[in-house]
Amino acid sequence: MRFVLRRLGFFAVTLWAALTLNFLLPRMMPGNPALAIMGKFKGPVPPQALKALYAQFGLNSHQSLLSAYGTYLGDVSTGKFGISLTTQPGNSVGRIVLDAIPWTLGLVGVTTVLAFVLGTGIGIVGAWWRGGRLDSILPPIFVIMTVVPYFWVGLVLILVVGVKLHWLPYFFSYNYTLTPGLSGAFIGNMLEHAILPAFTLLITTIGTWILTMRNTMITTLAEDYVRMARAKGLPGRRIMLDYAARNAILPNLTGFAMSLGFVVGGAILIEEVFNYQGVGYLLLQAVNNDDYPLMQALFLLITVAVLVAILISDLATAILDPRTRGAR
Amino acid sequence: MRRLKVIGVLIAAGVLAAACGTSSSPSSSKSSGPSGALTIDNESGGTWTCDFNPFNLSYLPYSLGPVYEPLAFVNTLQSGKASPWLASSWTWGAGNKTLTFTIRKGVKFSNGNPLTAADVAYTFNLLKKYPVLDINAVWSVLSGVTQQGSDQVVMTFKTAAVQYFYYIADQVGIVDQSVWSKISNPSTYPDKNPVGTGGFTVSSKTCTPQNIKYTANTHYWQKGEPKVGTVNYPSFLTNDTANTYLANGQAQWGSQFIPSIKSFYTSKNPNYHYWFPPVANVSMFINLTNPLLKNVAVRQAMAYAIDRQKASTIGEYGYEPASNQSGIVTPTFSSWLDTSQASSFGNNYAYNPSKAISILQAAGFKRGSNGIFQSPSGQPLSFTILNNGGFSDWVAAVQTIQTSLKAIGIAVTPENLAATTYQSDLYSGKYQLAYGSETGGPTPYFELRQWLDSANSAPIGTAAGSNWERYSNPATDALINQYGATTSAAQQHSIVDQLEKVMLQDVPVIPVTESVDWFQYDTGSFTGWPTPGNPYAQPAAYNYPDWGQLMLRLVPKG
Repeated sequence: MRFVLRRLGFFAVTLWAALTLNFLLPRMMPGNPALAIMGKFKGPVPPQALKALYAQFGLNSHQSLLSAYGTYLGDVSTGKFGISLTTQPGNSVGRIVLDAIPWTLGLVGVTTVLAFVLGTGIGIVGAWWRGGRLDSILPPIFVIMTVVPYFWVGLVLILVVGVKLHWLPYFFSYNYTLTPGLSGAFIGNMLEHAILPAFTLLITTIGTWILTMRNTMITTLAEDYVRMARAKGLPGRRIMLDYAARNAILPNLTGFAMSLGFVVGGAILIEEVFNYQGVGYLLLQAVNNDDYPLMQALFLLITVAVLVAILISDLATAILDPRTRGAR
Repeated sequence: MRRLKVIGVLIAAGVLAAACGTSSSPSSSKSSGPSGALTIDNESGGTWTCDFNPFNLSYLPYSLGPVYEPLAFVNTLQSGKASPWLASSWTWGAGNKTLTFTIRKGVKFSNGNPLTAADVAYTFNLLKKYPVLDINAVWSVLSGVTQQGSDQVVMTFKTAAVQYFYYIADQVGIVDQSVWSKISNPSTYPDKNPVGTGGFTVSSKTCTPQNIKYTANTHYWQKGEPKVGTVNYPSFLTNDTANTYLANGQAQWGSQFIPSIKSFYTSKNPNYHYWFPPVANVSMFINLTNPLLKNVAVRQAMAYAIDRQKASTIGEYGYEPASNQSGIVTPTFSSWLDTSQASSFGNNYAYNPSKAISILQAAGFKRGSNGIFQSPSGQPLSFTILNNGGFSDWVAAVQTIQTSLKAIGIAVTPENLAATTYQSDLYSGKYQLAYGSETGGPTPYFELRQWLDSANSAPIGTAAGSNWERYSNPATDALINQYGATTSAAQQHSIVDQLEKVMLQDVPVIPVTESVDWFQYDTGSFTGWPTPGNPYAQPAAYNYPDWGQLMLRLVPKG
């Protein structure tokens, strides 16, 4: 119980620090949203518009940093993230983020789970039949893929599979001429659009899981209790899964919990390259446009998600491995 | 303005390899009604909000023109020629201090309500009541807008302000009083289902974060228009994705900066064309509060020393032609260029490094041991030049400037900063030299005014609207204001000639290249595009209300 309380306390302190940083950082950036709008404009924007923009963004009123901090903490604790300044001026930040999250959870979330399951599986099997055909082909290929920049893999896939071969759509999260809905045609189209970005993410992230799983598995296989199980004449599959893999999976599980936390941040470059409307895309937009409220909400979302993921992984490890509970 | 990023090079190289792209064939129908689907390709930098408030700078580019219509159309590509739109005619009176519009009859809003003079008067008074909506600051010159008789609207001005015709008649979309008077707070009104008089309608049902779908208004007041059935406007986060989409024939109307456009785009299909009409200047701004740069000899020397042609060819692939020191964009505004006056200033400051050196020497500057000129008091002519590091073409152009100036003994160090820092430093005057661009307007006067009017300036540290070099001269201000008092073309030309002289004599800004409208079009599926021979509107889709003109004039093929 003391362990749980300590973890929770640590969580609270980190959260406060993150909240405060999250408040200060955007305010330390140069420029202001009115200038950002003037700058990104391509049409015939008149110079006199600057005045209207300053009024629109309330940049004429000067609130002290401390009172702004107070307002910010109050708003955040009640779930109010304010109004977007430049990305979608006038619209509620909460609404904008909620619109983008399903796309990211669907694409990056599903891919992360898939990469973990497949990667761990390949790691287990590869380590069990060490030096076998599977072990000498898949792990090296995927480990090499992890060091290739994933946006580059995405670009190559767009060019070959999309532009040249016309096999799959490569931009947008669905065909924009369709009306979004729960029809089979729309869902099919949506899945079709997700194949390329998901595949790109999958083949570039799977290698890490394979490598860590395979290596811990090999160490575990040399343990005495595995030898004992063999001596008892247990079936190979049972030894592989229940004796070796079960123990070897711990480091991978911790990593998995943390990467789940990062899912809500989206995959910025993947979403940019594939013109996919997720959270990463939104984050890039917010930063480019000096949209403080949107930036704050997104950073906060990512921070909290990662902190919660770490907390859960800490607690899960404590349950799975009693030794960690006693530590300090 | 759209610029190249590193990733784009990779896509470009690959698409080149995949050269034979297939173009989508346009859908067409035999019926006489609007048909065909046109797709616009213009990087928006993010997903759509589906707000269409015509008085919000962020949303008006997507409603003014095809959905909401202004009183008149002022064509930049024809020296500001004004033609009737919702107003059938107008007259200036009382020493150019009143402007009377006669409102067209038979125009209906998309909800069936007729357009009346009361709607027009209401629209302008709405801007007065909510200054946040008055993006063009029309109420800085207006004193009243009232309805007169059944079909006229009279606008009275504080002082004669003829130049504001463009902002009043061309840039303000007219709304339906019966709709807007019910809105409690127009300044934050999203206007998801706009009710306009235009040839197209849009609503929350036809707009998603990925695409805005404009549908032809079958009850449009111009009989037989529009010919295009639907217009799709998909959202693109980056220039590169938009370029790939366009080059693969998935869109017909591009408004994109495309590096190596011949191999990337026009070579793909004989129906693919582009036209980049120049509309304003990209210039080197000179901070006139800097003690060394205050010296006109230094500025004149720089104007002679910069090889504008090189900046255009190397920095801009030649898409943006070289500028001239008069500040007149050619060929768009060639009739405004006072060539005889310009020729007396070294042929309009044509590239002449030896002349630049002799000017510096005559002003008492001496070359130091490192080849850099020094002022009589020993200060070296060494400056930083602020630039937007996100625009790779500008970075390349500034490199050529650096080389040109080095050759005559002026050291310049580029500071390529992120867009937000760049904007903030440029507007607040925290730079020595800066590379930047004004927006211009329908005649050269607008850009000259943006550069030279002291009213657009501000103290260092405060954001200035457009006079970023902080030029201030009462005589020039008087000239600028005189323009507003005359509707005579001859007098307007004479005033612009005198403003050109200010540019030539004082060199407060050095125009380097001309900024252009980025425009690509596919004649395989649609005809009626603007061309150099028929420049009926600014062709890039981000020009409002001009793009509404295009949407009315385009005709699906087949």
